[in-house]
Amino acid sequence: MASVNIKNKADIVIIGSGVIGNAAAYYLSKAGKKVIVLEKEDNIGDGGSTRNGGGVRQSGRHPAELKLAMYAVKNLWPNLSEELGEDVEYYQEGNLRLGKTKEHLKILEEIVESGKKGGLDLGMISGEEAREINPYLSDEVIGASWCPTDGHANPLKVTLSYYKKARELGARFITAQNVKRIGKVRGSARKVITKNGSVFEGDKIILAAGYGSRSIAQKIGIDIPMKQVLLEVLVTEPRPPMFYQMLGTAAADFYGHQSKHGSFVFGGTSGMDAYAVEDENNPTLSKTAPSICRGIIKYFPVLQDLNIIRTWGGYIDDCTDHIPVISNVEEVPGLIIACAFSGHGFGISPAVGLLLSEMALEKKTTLDIKPFHYDRFKTKI
Amino acid sequence: MAKISDRSINLGSFIKREDDSIVICRCEEITKGEIREAIYAGMFTFQEVKKFLRTGMGLCQGQTCEKLVKNIIAEELNISPLETGAAKGRAPMRPIPMRILANDKEGS
Amino acid sequence: MKRYDLIVIGAGPAGLSAAVEAAKRGLEAAVFDENDKPGGQLFKQIHKFFGSKEHKAKIRGYNIGKELLRNADELGVKIILNAEVVGLYPFKEVVVNIDKKVLHYRADTIVASTGASEKMITFPGWTLPGVIGAGAAQTMMNIHGVKPGEKILMLGSGNVGLVVTYQLLQAGIEVAAVVDASPQIGGYGVHAAKVARTKVPFYTSHTIVRAQGEKSVESAVIAEVDENWNIIEGTEQSFNVDTICLSVGLSPMSKLFSMAGCELEEVPAKGGMVPVCDKYGETSVSGIYAAGDVSGIEEASSAMIEGRIAGTAAAHKLGYIGEKEFLAEVKLQRESLESLRQGMFAPENKGKVFTETEEGYQISGSLLEKGYIDCKEIDEYPGVKSKEGIHPVIECTQNIPCNPCQDSCPNDCIVVGEITSLPEYKRSEECSGCGLCVASCPGQAVFLINNDIENNYSYITIPYEFSPLPSDGDLGTALDRSGKELCEAEIVEVKSIKAFDNTHLLTMKVPLEYSKEARFFKAKEE
Repeated sequence: MASVNIKNKADIVIIGSGVIGNAAAYYLSKAGKKVIVLEKEDNIGDGGSTRNGGGVRQSGRHPAELKLAMYAVKNLWPNLSEELGEDVEYYQEGNLRLGKTKEHLKILEEIVESGKKGGLDLGMISGEEAREINPYLSDEVIGASWCPTDGHANPLKVTLSYYKKARELGARFITAQNVKRIGKVRGSARKVITKNGSVFEGDKIILAAGYGSRSIAQKIGIDIPMKQVLLEVLVTEPRPPMFYQMLGTAAADFYGHQSKHGSFVFGGTSGMDAYAVEDENNPTLSKTAPSICRGIIKYFPVLQDLNIIRTWGGYIDDCTDHIPVISNVEEVPGLIIACAFSGHGFGISPAVGLLLSEMALEKKTTLDIKPFHYDRFKTKI
Repeated sequence: MAKISDRSINLGSFIKREDDSIVICRCEEITKGEIREAIYAGMFTFQEVKKFLRTGMGLCQGQTCEKLVKNIIAEELNISPLETGAAKGRAPMRPIPMRILANDKEGS
Repeated sequence: MKRYDLIVIGAGPAGLSAAVEAAKRGLEAAVFDENDKPGGQLFKQIHKFFGSKEHKAKIRGYNIGKELLRNADELGVKIILNAEVVGLYPFKEVVVNIDKKVLHYRADTIVASTGASEKMITFPGWTLPGVIGAGAAQTMMNIHGVKPGEKILMLGSGNVGLVVTYQLLQAGIEVAAVVDASPQIGGYGVHAAKVARTKVPFYTSHTIVRAQGEKSVESAVIAEVDENWNIIEGTEQSFNVDTICLSVGLSPMSKLFSMAGCELEEVPAKGGMVPVCDKYGETSVSGIYAAGDVSGIEEASSAMIEGRIAGTAAAHKLGYIGEKEFLAEVKLQRESLESLRQGMFAPENKGKVFTETEEGYQISGSLLEKGYIDCKEIDEYPGVKSKEGIHPVIECTQNIPCNPCQDSCPNDCIVVGEITSLPEYKRSEECSGCGLCVASCPGQAVFLINNDIENNYSYITIPYEFSPLPSDGDLGTALDRSGKELCEAEIVEVKSIKAFDNTHLLTMKVPLEYSKEARFFKAKEE
């Protein structure tokens, strides 16, 4: 292998400039490390990180992931704007997960049960109580789960502000670097070789390239069982502030919030998205946005005359057990994998960034990362 | 002139200019100064400036300001506007009320 | 799902032509347009088109529109108005909002002819009410019958800027100046000359510095620029205007192609981001075609041909016509398109400055800079020759693809030959003084001169499209090519026949010494 240009050597090479990669780059740069971040696309944060609903939610998470979310909400999110020097539009005004039928309430009760077990301030409330919190809700809502410490932020601002701050601290970001493979030196992962022939080298390599991580990991003998699923979001014209809670439903027919800008950002599914044709164009499906609209109108009839300005699609990297891989790869020393966030990585991204920095620095991690081990997957029988 | 992929280039420090107060994106009321500052903060493509500042995210979806923003990026980075990327076309092509979109049918 | 053979998006000249051509071959075609009237920009184009007969030269845009609609109707093309396309989805699915009902359709082929939008430039005050696109001004006047302002500054001297300036004048609006940062006027010299002779000044090598006003535009400040486009200090001047029209180019509205996953490229000569197309207008997505301004900014005449090619290609793709017929038709259309794309203003010559014509004639520097040919230069051109009795004087001095003067002359006095050649007046043939050449010239560059009716007087016939129309015996002032007042003039004849299509022929009597100068008539103010 050719020798590596000194400019292309760093303490840590991160593959992927999504919110996870950028957060890790920030915490590592802050710790004084030399960091290189490689992005496949021409734009920083071009994948799911800037194509999501912006939920900063603890409720409804897997018990293992809940710990990360609670840590982030308690310790990282409240100061993030100040820390990054940019308003990331974080609102901690609670999460309402809405139900309209008895079956819905059953689903919500299970979520509440699981959250409480994990120590989360989460409870069931009646339809009336929900309407006291959010007076725009329709009478069809008969109950909800309520987590007062949940919230939302602007994923575009978070992703790019981590980038901005890490760059300020000296992290070197390079776009249009489609990684071909990770190369080993004397038994450890050290090199990153791109399709355009560039070679980068680091003591640690963090692979945080969303679904794209899969093919890169495969080339060094690791396979993460995940698939790409299309998710769509629609954005409305702005309105004066109405409410700042994060919203979801037991039926999972939509989720979203009103942003600082005043527009409503609503995500959802038509049921066909999981089987959409994979396409680099991040297409939307013709029937998804209408379906999301029908969902919204049932819960918020008052929003029905709002104009939709834009819809967009993005892919999530859905893991077979729907929780991420955040892991040292012991069999490939030097390699750290962070992917398969399954559509709920944004809310925990500051915590994951912090954990990754600790892992790369070989420090004891603040939180237990064992549940996110890359080799945890077991057959069902 | 090629696009810049290494984001560590040094642009120097951001210096305000006389015409910074001109509004460039009318829908979202974003000024030239804000755009220039975002470029200095590392937003080197149209998409990045858009996502960082909302330029081109308003009612006209960038039909008017996309070119203007690209020209500003090109000027600040000393590259061609052709090298600043483009926004993707997204439905709906015109704003549409939720109530109307919700009621979609198959044509006959 | 209802599936059409062809769905056309945009009922402008390109889209309608595509639908007509496809329907002729038996395709079931539907055309969606977001406006409440079809025709795109055609119905606001009240001027006569350039080109030759096959390009509908000398016909006014709105009449071309009417004819296209008639053809479409006869062939059973469904034109659905108030139909906003929501999106173009995978597998050629078109979702459209028709009168507030969202419907899903599929098509085997799609022609998107979504046109262009106006580019803007920014300067302090550009967001003040009163700063508008020149195209918007044209829509206000010619579609809605509303004056965009009382006194206007036009920014940009391309053909759109020049044509709209002329139409503003026709609407009785004062145009304070036409300003262009380039040292030369961008559009056809004949368009500039029509404007210059009404005394509108051209400021080339000038740019706008700012728009001023409390709540809306009250004045505009311009200044001279050097060869590096930097403002020369001390050259600022202010115009009291209530409206500033921007005519700084058009930008293809190609977002629909981007959404459909078609490959796009940024081509400055085509106005911006355009879909990559093969020679039939087919994009990188099989069965999706682009035609008209959305595939590159040009004239409506070329848009119609591109539409016909795309419509024919769709018919071929779906097996409605064989290879032979397809290739023969496309060959014909391409030849027609190529002939329009010739001359100094051809797309490939965008930005180039010519100092002489194909034939080797010097291009008038005065025309390029000030909008009119200097009297001393005019005798050089092949269309300008003196002769006893009545004869045409053709002040057409640039190579543009246009020949109605030749076609309209019943006595073969005028020869153009190659479509871009300068028209030549053949002294050997007898001019009957019918005036068809004067009325048919889209550039209003043909005049009839007769110096042999009355001693010491010249009878000059000029094209006239202003109201009120003067009458026989009216007295007024003759103006020269720059709009300068020359002398008293008397109208001796006003001719308005159907064949002139609303270009009236005024014959004015001026002293003989002004025979080579007087080119416009200003009625006495009441």
